[in-house]
Amino acid sequence: MKYVVLAGAALATLAAALLVGPANLPFADLPGSAIVWQLRLPRAVLAFLVGGALGVAGTSLQALVRNPLADPFLLGLSGGAGLGAVAAIALHLPGPWALPLAAFVGAVGAMALVYRLGLMGGAELDPRILLLGGVAVGAFAAAITTALVSLAQATELRNAFLWLWGGFSGASWTTVLVMLAYAPLPLGVLVASARPLDLLALGEEPAQYLGADVRRLKRVVYLAASLLTAAAVAVAGVIGFVGLVVPHLCRLVWGRLHRTLLPTAFLTGGILLAAADTLARTVVAPRELPVGIVTALLGVPVFAFLLRRWTVS
Amino acid sequence: MRRWTVRTHLAGLVALAAVACARGEHAPAAGPAVTDDAGRRVALAVPARRIVSLLPSFTEILFAIGAGHRLVGRTAWCDYPPAALAVPSVGDGIPPNVEAVAARRPDLVVLYRSGQNATAAEQLERLGIRTVLLDLNRLEELAPAARRLGVLTGRTAAGDSLARAMDSLVSQSPESPTPSPVSLVFLVWDNPPIVIGAGSYLDRLAGLAGARNVFHDIAAPSAQVSIETIAARNPDFIAVLSDTAAPPRYAGRPEWRVVPAVRKRRFLFLPGGLFGRPGPRAREAVRELRRRLDTTP
Repeated sequence: MKYVVLAGAALATLAAALLVGPANLPFADLPGSAIVWQLRLPRAVLAFLVGGALGVAGTSLQALVRNPLADPFLLGLSGGAGLGAVAAIALHLPGPWALPLAAFVGAVGAMALVYRLGLMGGAELDPRILLLGGVAVGAFAAAITTALVSLAQATELRNAFLWLWGGFSGASWTTVLVMLAYAPLPLGVLVASARPLDLLALGEEPAQYLGADVRRLKRVVYLAASLLTAAAVAVAGVIGFVGLVVPHLCRLVWGRLHRTLLPTAFLTGGILLAAADTLARTVVAPRELPVGIVTALLGVPVFAFLLRRWTVS
Repeated sequence: MRRWTVRTHLAGLVALAAVACARGEHAPAAGPAVTDDAGRRVALAVPARRIVSLLPSFTEILFAIGAGHRLVGRTAWCDYPPAALAVPSVGDGIPPNVEAVAARRPDLVVLYRSGQNATAAEQLERLGIRTVLLDLNRLEELAPAARRLGVLTGRTAAGDSLARAMDSLVSQSPESPTPSPVSLVFLVWDNPPIVIGAGSYLDRLAGLAGARNVFHDIAAPSAQVSIETIAARNPDFIAVLSDTAAPPRYAGRPEWRVVPAVRKRRFLFLPGGLFGRPGPRAREAVRELRRRLDTTP
């Protein structure tokens, strides 16, 4: 039942994204318009995929570090991505893919560093070390980024930050294909880990006793969620909030079992981000809002309402 | 007796001091004084002789009114006129390096009015260095800036003359000299797309060259828009600030090819030295833009 509702909502959101836009196309012109096929459709699909990826990554990371404040970008990824993007511009790397690729490499580099920190001294990805290491690596990367920006004297660097704040202006079928080719593997790995993730919620030792390979599980989930987030950064910059709130939303509505949680988080994240992007490009037309602002404006009230209902009952 | 003498001498000193103070109050009124765009009164005892300019446009204006030889500091971006390059640089100026500026021992620092610069101006004033904060986003702001810089440097006549030239340029023509002028978009950045609105000198520059900025309805100097909006507004030309005529890297991307002017490669490459700032060469910039509009297929 819930899947029917969510699928319906997803289709409605995508339809709305195709129908409305700043260009005010007459309805009859829609099917043959390049604006619909080359701009609106890839943009809506990309927003949906990125929202879904962030929802799933957030859900798995919150389960992994057993901390409700965990966000896919908290573990140093946004800092690393920012450093990569700014370095690409400062070094004048050529080609249209230089910026996203550099952001991806930066995010993966930060992830590797945090991962290494998490394994030091036999800590075996202790959630506390992951969180602290993530914040520290992120701060370090941000410091180098700021140093680059203030020393390099290139006006273009200001625009690297604009890109990094996130958005789907650069969406095309190519970016959609990149995401479609890349995302299924980490998504599949995470969905396959649904049952052990449920066990992990009981604590590491009980999970071990109940037959979960905790050591392997933590490594696999951490890597898959981070790689998923790094791909999202590469195609859309850092979009906050979706990965933090969507998991909580889904948990409040549909319960704590990851077998349901992960697919619903994918659909909910996709719906939220696709709807937010449609609003971002239409409400202040001809101007456009950064999509992260809209996700927060949409998500926070819903979240606050649910929290209230949850604490009252 | 002795004590009495001391007292009268003291009284005399006090009286002298009072006279001196009174004179001191009146003295600056004899020197040049203007009100800057932060609403502050800037009064100098004598016309400025050691000036630091913290915006390329101000450097150009100072040279144009014959006060260039009084510059003792400029930003790293001030590259026009060529004589400006002989002036020592005090860094990139965003934000100003207060110590480097003060080390030039200026008697006047000219700053573009912004939050960071207002703070820097306060710090300089505390060091006893006079500062003036001026607006310079639109072509209309060139004349008042030239006039006030003329007053402060004792080049009032030259400042007024430049101001009149700038005023006559801006008030010259109607927005659209022909019934259906060619249209353009100034594209500052591609992802996210940032365009120039009516708050920028470029908007007016386009109008004077006989072209319509398709984002004239945006009041801000620049704004983020979507590719879809650019496609819907369908400008005849894409104007980019670039010193080379190489097509931008986004030109071949499918999402950008939805914009007809990108598909037809109708780019105007405007050199940053002339078009990247409002200044005394605005008339030249208008002519140059018009020439490019006429010659670009």
